[in-house]
Amino acid sequence: MATERMDGQEDDGGMGQLLRERLTRHPAPAMLRASVREALEPAAVRPPWWMQWGVPAATALATAMVMLLWIAPSLPSGAGADPAQLVVRAVLAEHARNIFWGESRTDVVPAALPRAMEESGVALNWVFTGDEDIQLVNAKPTYLEGRRGIELAYQDSAGHTVTYVIVPGGSVALPERGRVQIDRWKPVVRKENGFSLIMWRQQNLLCVLASDLVSDEDLGRFKQYFVKVRSSTEPYVIY
Amino acid sequence: MADDEFRQQALLHLDALHNLAVYLTRNGSEAEDLVQETYVRAMRFSHRFQPGTHLRAWLFQILRNTFLTFYRLRERESALSEDGVPESEAPMFHDAPHRDGESAGAHMDLDRALTKLPEEFKTPLLLAEVEGLALEDVARIMDCPVGTVKSRIFRAKERLRGFLKDYE
Repeated sequence: MATERMDGQEDDGGMGQLLRERLTRHPAPAMLRASVREALEPAAVRPPWWMQWGVPAATALATAMVMLLWIAPSLPSGAGADPAQLVVRAVLAEHARNIFWGESRTDVVPAALPRAMEESGVALNWVFTGDEDIQLVNAKPTYLEGRRGIELAYQDSAGHTVTYVIVPGGSVALPERGRVQIDRWKPVVRKENGFSLIMWRQQNLLCVLASDLVSDEDLGRFKQYFVKVRSSTEPYVIY
Repeated sequence: MADDEFRQQALLHLDALHNLAVYLTRNGSEAEDLVQETYVRAMRFSHRFQPGTHLRAWLFQILRNTFLTFYRLRERESALSEDGVPESEAPMFHDAPHRDGESAGAHMDLDRALTKLPEEFKTPLLLAEVEGLALEDVARIMDCPVGTVKSRIFRAKERLRGFLKDYE
């Protein structure tokens, strides 16, 4: 393994050796070792969860129900919720899922795209499939806030995931606040829960790009990705 | 691989995972949380692990992905606040073995220099040089080509050399 490892590396002036010999190692503390062991134990040897949590959970549930009955009349109704914000949250949830469980399958994209278009009701006359900086790695139908749409996942050369969601959004109004001129477009750019988002309307569709490119430098790169996607993708609603 | 065997094998890598977690989070309790979460996820997705492949690399990959999602933003925010590495986020040294003054000083400098590296550089450097993983495994963990890993390791060493000069 060591030979394999060193073969591809430049002479580093002993930096690798310095790291191996001098860098402080942080072995797992005994407490962590014990708690990990406990967490890995088969469920069968542990007492059933309801014996530990049943009584407190029932008490908490009862308290919550009483509180809900008490304050329910004063709660704002759901009808006032901003539809754009709801879509944003749903897109971020999808993006997080892509980071954790999204598959990087460039080999299946050609087959996945037509299926995703057929099942989502959103077709793509043109689609940006990637270049040397960023590649389309997955395509699937999605369902966000009652809207069927299509979701494309890209991955850039630094390993960042960029999620591109297109849903019918005729009734969704985009805010004027946060609009930024990028190339010849003026989409909404915002940061939310540690992620960056770019939103725009195209045809009768709402398009959202999400990524974890949040620093100033990264945001510049994210905007470049937007230009690539925006100029090379032409979606429309099939039905 | 049977669950019991998987558990036993996974536990063998606890120290290595904790070490990387400390250098990523620069915070003892967060490192422990990160390692705990890594094992919970590993057990949840143990059916996806292919016997015969590199369990150590797979666990490192889970740890890194978990870190990126939950901790990265915080790291960026704090990095912006104090020109690099805030004092409060210095790595823990209480686990370090006792050494003479000069050697301990070199440890501190190297540790401090390492914490200044961005995650994209720090992780491949630690995995390849300290944990001894093959570049192909590191590339899989980092989800990038082997060439990118090589270049990041090279640049990480360049930067480390620069930082260490500053401490001289």
